[in-house]
Amino acid sequence: MKISKEKFGQSFDALAAEYQVIAPVRDAGGVSYKAVKKFSEVKQDYLNSKLPPKSFFFPQHEKLLSYKKEGKDVTVKNELNVEKTILFGIRPCDAKGFLLLDKVFKNDQYRDPYYFERRDNTIVIGVACHKIAPTCFCSSLGLSPASSAGSDIFLIDLGDSYQIEAISDNGKFLMAGLEGLEELSTEEQTLVDTIKSAETTSKVDVSTITTKLDKMFDNPYWDTLHEKCLSCNACSFSCPTCHCFDISEEVLKNEGSRVRTWDGCMAPLFTLHGSGHNPRDQKKSRWRQRMLHKFNYFVHNNGDIACVGCGRCIKNCPVNLDIRQTIDGVNKAELVVD
Amino acid sequence: MTSIIDDIRKTARQLLTEEKVDVVIGYEKGSLPLKATPCFVRSPQDVDKLIWDETCENNLAAFVVKTPGKKAIIAKGCDSRALMVLIQENQIVRDDLYIIGVSCQGVIDQRKIEAETGEIIGATITDGKISVQGIECDKVFNFTEVKDITCQTCRYPNPVLEDVHIGGSIEVLQQATLFADVMVMENKSDSERKAYFKEQMGKCIRCYACRNVCPMCYCQECFVDCNSPKWLTGGVDSAENLLFQTGRALHLAGRCVECGACSRACPQGVDIRALSRKVNKDVKEMYNHESGLTEEVKPALNVYSADDPEAFLVKE
Amino acid sequence: MEQNPYIPITMKLIKNLCETEDKLVNTFTLAFLNKEDEENFKYMPGQFAELSAYGHGEAPFGIATSPTEPGIIKFSVAKVGCVSNALHLMEEGTMVGVRGPMGNYYPLEKFKGKNLVIIGGGFAFTTLRSMAVYMLDEKHRADYGDITVIYGARNPGLLLYKEELAEWETNPNINLITTIDKPAEGWNKHVGFIPTIVGEVAPSAVDTYAVVCGPPVMIKYTLPVLEKLGFTPEQIYTSLEMRMKCGLGICGRCNIGPKYVCKDGPVFSMAELKELPSEY
Repeated sequence: MKISKEKFGQSFDALAAEYQVIAPVRDAGGVSYKAVKKFSEVKQDYLNSKLPPKSFFFPQHEKLLSYKKEGKDVTVKNELNVEKTILFGIRPCDAKGFLLLDKVFKNDQYRDPYYFERRDNTIVIGVACHKIAPTCFCSSLGLSPASSAGSDIFLIDLGDSYQIEAISDNGKFLMAGLEGLEELSTEEQTLVDTIKSAETTSKVDVSTITTKLDKMFDNPYWDTLHEKCLSCNACSFSCPTCHCFDISEEVLKNEGSRVRTWDGCMAPLFTLHGSGHNPRDQKKSRWRQRMLHKFNYFVHNNGDIACVGCGRCIKNCPVNLDIRQTIDGVNKAELVVD
Repeated sequence: MTSIIDDIRKTARQLLTEEKVDVVIGYEKGSLPLKATPCFVRSPQDVDKLIWDETCENNLAAFVVKTPGKKAIIAKGCDSRALMVLIQENQIVRDDLYIIGVSCQGVIDQRKIEAETGEIIGATITDGKISVQGIECDKVFNFTEVKDITCQTCRYPNPVLEDVHIGGSIEVLQQATLFADVMVMENKSDSERKAYFKEQMGKCIRCYACRNVCPMCYCQECFVDCNSPKWLTGGVDSAENLLFQTGRALHLAGRCVECGACSRACPQGVDIRALSRKVNKDVKEMYNHESGLTEEVKPALNVYSADDPEAFLVKE
Repeated sequence: MEQNPYIPITMKLIKNLCETEDKLVNTFTLAFLNKEDEENFKYMPGQFAELSAYGHGEAPFGIATSPTEPGIIKFSVAKVGCVSNALHLMEEGTMVGVRGPMGNYYPLEKFKGKNLVIIGGGFAFTTLRSMAVYMLDEKHRADYGDITVIYGARNPGLLLYKEELAEWETNPNINLITTIDKPAEGWNKHVGFIPTIVGEVAPSAVDTYAVVCGPPVMIKYTLPVLEKLGFTPEQIYTSLEMRMKCGLGICGRCNIGPKYVCKDGPVFSMAELKELPSEY
């Protein structure tokens, strides 16, 4: 089915009264996802946002609880507040990222209510990529510039209209309320097929990386890989699947709150014990952790690679430590036989 | 450029072959167009990957403190100033260091290019012209148009400390006014300045790329990571971010070598230099000091003399 | 609404007792404020909880009491960081937060019908005490064979739970061996490092499980002694320490390979640890 942008825009504006609508907009640093009220504010022609939209489910800084101390007593308040939200214009890589984060924030024993309250109250409208950046490599990770996994509704931009598809029940529900749905013309169908068959030009081979990494913990490959790494978190913070966080306390006199903030495995303090012992005190072990977590541990625990090929870490690394080269390096590394 | 690259490789090969150093820290071609990447060459066979051009944007001095053994380093003017400060602050042993000095034309600011062409798909540099194939359009730039803002006002393109110099030296352009950029900022009203920094600091995501790429930021424990006392909350908003960035700028007072690596490293394009430039101007005016120029003159705030300016201490 | 695993229950610090002569380890006795909280806090020896000192933060500590001791839970905590410092200074009667119980526990089902050798060093004795008390409980004692506890500290003043140890000395249901590193005035029991004493006492590995907790160096040198005595990696258990924040297997810092110490541990057999990278 398709819908003209005009009709879509009308529904969009109407929905913005009922939902908090987050969409890509142009800002000082490039394109970011921000709250909008009108479809006309939405940036249509963009590669992808500078930072991944994971922050709408997992904010960089959020209050978990607040408390007030009075003498020896304390009162604690849950700080979980959620609005019904539509995330519009999410790229396939980031939508897949949400599916991967779902697996993190729910495990065999726990379910993170802060993440899932937002997730459960959000409808994701994905849009296929028209342009593909040189750093994009999603096609190597079971995705494509037009894959709909993780979206509730998926759009393909056809110029004046969108091809529109409901992917989930939530999507069907929302789509049922849309007016002006039409059939695609033959020409438009051909255009859709072309967009759907597009692939990224940059590719990596991850077909055997997990099993290879099973045998690589002590491999000398890690000895030099990390050398130029600065141990900053530019890669982790711009990654749609990185999810490590810190919990700390913000206090003002006898009141305060417990907050969680993004953290990352590249920082040496991340694993520092109270005793002073640090199991990952070397950059080498931290880079190994990054690679093993994404391409091995995550697969063992969740059945999927924790990389969606969005390329943000490549673009943002101040020293050009390119994860595609690292993957190649693992593929080429000689296994050490003991 | 070609002869400079050849000479760099020749020097590196010789140093490694004669085992004068364990490693040569230089640049190799990066994985992205117009992007060089730091490299660590340990064997004479690998010296041919060393390059030198307008894309060599990192300050390699940042790697020296943590790289063990005897090392050679390719140093631009700003890298050499950073090495000088590191030596003055006893972070590195001069005898463990072999400085291969290269005069620097300045480096490319990719953001300026991408603002016009979109993501860069491919690029070639010939004779000061940069032909860019962009995702939006193709365009040929003059190097001077896309030179990094730091390099535009650089007064020390030639290394101030080196064991060998490769290539010619660069004539330093006399500037009518130093710190013209800072004066523009100073002349703004408080509310304009506040609005500017609020916007800039609002972009910061506290990845600490700026801090970690900085050769002068070598503290074992940065004040932002310290938890007793806790100087900052985990908050990531313009106020907290400004506290981090001003704290860092003040720690760099009299030590910043103006390489601009912090601003280039920032994935969010925060104007970090705006703070350090102001501090540098103040240090220059108050102490007539510029960091890392000679071995004798220690960082202004690391030494005390009775006639130090103390206007900021005394109320008139 | 579902239970929010980040929100602590409130408990009252009813006793803040200095446990060691160096004044670095205190035992905190916390009382449940109501029956409901206590019912929801069903734990087993080896589990831990996140303790909140409001105003300072939260940190994970092993539970030192046994589920057979109702109404309270205890933690013995060394003063090392910001949270433990705040707890040490806390006045009795202050309300604290507790999240838990968390993690797995010693495989007490598997231990049934077997002899136990419990080996502890320093202030890592806390969850071992929990297990010993659990097994000594009259409802459980018959489930287990001989219980031998080998417990050491640098000097007599650093042993935890001194009154209880004195009681165990004369308790026929448990064989307690205490040791200190160097001879000290008034000390008439064993002198020597844990690995040496384990070698001397030489518990039989037949039908026996060993549980070892202590500083890494102690564990490192005790394991070969146990192996020599015939203990297989499947017969040796330990409890690991890691920097933790969420305690829920989410925040990403306590992993060893694909396992999260907070959720999949902290108790591992040596056989399980051999399958994991040595990054702890």
